[in-house]
Amino acid sequence: MIVVKDIWKTFKLTKQQRKEKGNHSQNGKVDAVAGISFTCQPGRIFSLIGPNGAGKTTTLRMVATLLKPSRGSVTVGGFDTVKQPREVKKRLGFLTGTTKLYDRLTAEELVKYYADLQGMERSAFDKRKDELFTLLDIHDFAKWRIAKLSSGMRQKVSIARTIIHDPEVVVFDEPTVGLDVITAKNIIELIRNCKNEGKTVIFSTHIMGEVSLLSDDMALIHKGKLIYNGTYKDFQSQMREESLEEEFIKLIQEVRS
Amino acid sequence: MKNSLIVFLKELKDTLRDRRTIIFMVAIPLLIFPVLISIASGMIISQAKKAEAKTLEIALINHGNAPEFRQQLLGNEKVTLREDIDENQAKTLIRHDELDALIVFDKDFDQKVEDLSQGRVRLLMKMTEDTEIEKKRLLKLLTDFEETLRMKRFQEMDLDESIIKTIKINEQNLATAKEQLAEAVGGFLPYMFIIFCFMGAMYPAIDLAAGEKERGTLETLLTSPVDRFQILVGKLGVVMLAGIISALVAMLGLYLGIRRMSDIPAELLDTVMSILEVNTILILISLLVPLTIFFAALLLSLSIFARSYKEAQSILSPLMFVVIIPAFMGLLPGINLTMGTALIPILNVSLATKAIIAETITVPLLAAVYLSLIILAVVGIYVCSKIYGRESAIFR
Repeated sequence: MIVVKDIWKTFKLTKQQRKEKGNHSQNGKVDAVAGISFTCQPGRIFSLIGPNGAGKTTTLRMVATLLKPSRGSVTVGGFDTVKQPREVKKRLGFLTGTTKLYDRLTAEELVKYYADLQGMERSAFDKRKDELFTLLDIHDFAKWRIAKLSSGMRQKVSIARTIIHDPEVVVFDEPTVGLDVITAKNIIELIRNCKNEGKTVIFSTHIMGEVSLLSDDMALIHKGKLIYNGTYKDFQSQMREESLEEEFIKLIQEVRS
Repeated sequence: MKNSLIVFLKELKDTLRDRRTIIFMVAIPLLIFPVLISIASGMIISQAKKAEAKTLEIALINHGNAPEFRQQLLGNEKVTLREDIDENQAKTLIRHDELDALIVFDKDFDQKVEDLSQGRVRLLMKMTEDTEIEKKRLLKLLTDFEETLRMKRFQEMDLDESIIKTIKINEQNLATAKEQLAEAVGGFLPYMFIIFCFMGAMYPAIDLAAGEKERGTLETLLTSPVDRFQILVGKLGVVMLAGIISALVAMLGLYLGIRRMSDIPAELLDTVMSILEVNTILILISLLVPLTIFFAALLLSLSIFARSYKEAQSILSPLMFVVIIPAFMGLLPGINLTMGTALIPILNVSLATKAIIAETITVPLLAAVYLSLIILAVVGIYVCSKIYGRESAIFR
C-alpha cells in the first residue's frame, strides 16, 4: 500500500527558469507539488493523470524515494520513504518510459545486476528469472547485448528488470511514452498482471485510453494540486462530457479560469 | 561493501566493453611512446646521417694562402671545392641554397702566421638548426688546420703546449647515472603518467555519471536498496582503476619504446631499465593511487552535474590544464622536493618521482607527499559523496 499525506515539493529555480517565470515564482522557488494526498491499495491500479508539468513525475519520484518531500510524508508498505528508504526500495519496482538500459550488458547480465542489488540469492534469482524470461519470451535473446535488441525486446528486458525481485509495489512513470502499439500492449499486460498478483500499482499517464482500460482509482493533478481523487467509476458517473479526454480538458480549463 | 563490489564489477565489465574507453585507457598510452620514440629518433638519426654523408659544396677564396688547407679540402671526398667565384657571387649562391659555405682567408694570412700573430679566416654560411651538423664539419676542418699550424709553431720555437695552457681542467662528474637521468627525464616521466592517469580516468567518469544520467539508468539504480555512497564507491573504484591502468600501460609503452630503440647506448639503457625495477614501480603506483582517487572524485563530482555526455566532456576537458600546469612545473629546473612543494598536489607527485628515480628521496619528504595526497583523496571523496546526495545535482 502507498499512503501519500499532504506532500509538497519546492524547487529552487535556476536563473533561466526565473527569467521565464517572471513574477510567478515566489522568492525564486516554485511548488512542483503542493499538498497532494492519496492512497493506493494492494490489488488495485491507481492512475495519476495530468498535463505535462502537472507534477506527476515529481510525485512518483517522491514515492520511489528519489526525491524527499519538502513537507508531508509518503509511506510504502508501511515504511516511510525518508526515514526508511532502504526498506521501501526493497518493496518497490520502478519503470519509466524514458529509461534506457546498459547497452554493453546482455539482457541476462542486466537483470542479474538489479537482482544482485536487491540482494537476491542465486537460486531465487534463477527461478524467478526463468519464470519471467518464459513469460516475456526473453530466452531467445537473453545472451544478446542490449545494444543489439529491438525496442520491443528492450522493453521486455526493462519489465523483467523492474519486477525481478517480485516487488509488492510497482511505480510506472508514463511507461508507454514513445512506444509502438505492440510494445505498449506488453506494458499494459504487465500492469494488469501486477494487479492480479495483488501488487499495489501506481502509474502516471496522459493517455486517456490507458486510464479507462486500467484504472481502479485515479487522481487528477494540475500545477501540483489535486483536482480529483477517487475511484474511476465515481469519476465516470460524474462526467459531464461524452469522452474522458473532453472531461479532462474541461476540468483543467475550469481550474485555469 | 558487498553492494559497492556489485556496482564495481558491473561498471568494470561495462567500461571494458566500451571501445572509446579502451582506446583512451589502453591503446593510446600503450602506443604513444613507442610511436613517438620511433618517429622522433628515426627522424633525428636520418637527418644526422644525411647531414654527415652530404658532400659539402664549399667556395674557397684564399689569395694563395694556406695551401695545406686547400690540399686538405681537395683531398676530402665529401667536399666539392669551388674557386671560380668571388665573395658576392658566393654569398648569393649560399642564400639560394646552391652553395653550402664560403671560406675566406685574409690576403696577409700566411704573413701573419709567419710573424707569430693571428691569421684571420672567415666562415660564411646559413647558420640555422638544419645546418648545425654541416657547420660542425666545417669548423672541424678549420680547427684541425689551426691545430696543425699551432703544433708547427711550437716545434719551430721548441716549446711545449703547457707553456701556453697553464691549467688543464679535468672534469669528473660524481652524479650517479640515475641522478643524471632523473635530472634529464625525471620530470618528464611523472608529467606523462599524471596526464595519462587523468585522461584514462576521464572517459569512464563521464560515462558512469553523466552517461548514466543521460540514459536515465541512474534513476533506476537509485531506486535499488543500495546507499548512494555505496554506489559512489563502486563507481570511484572503476574510474580509479582506469586511471591507474592507463598510467601503467603508458609506463609499459615507454619501456617497449626504449627497448625498440637500436641506437641507445647500452649504459643508458641499463640505467633506464634499473629505474623500472619492481620496488620503484610499486612506490610510483602507491603515489598514483591517492592521486587517482582524487582525480576520480573530482571527475565524478563534475560529471554528475552535467546533463549529458557532451556537456560533461566540455566541462571536464579544460580541467586537463589544471592538471598539466603543476605537473609541468616539475619539469622546470631549480624546483625541488621540499616540505613546501611536498604539500602541493600533482607537483609533489612529479617532484617525488624525480627524487625516487635519482634515489635522493628522504622518508620525511615522502611521508609529507603521502599525507598531502591522502588528505586530498579523503576530501575529494567527501565532497563527491555530498554532491551525490544532492537532488539538485542528480536531477538537474
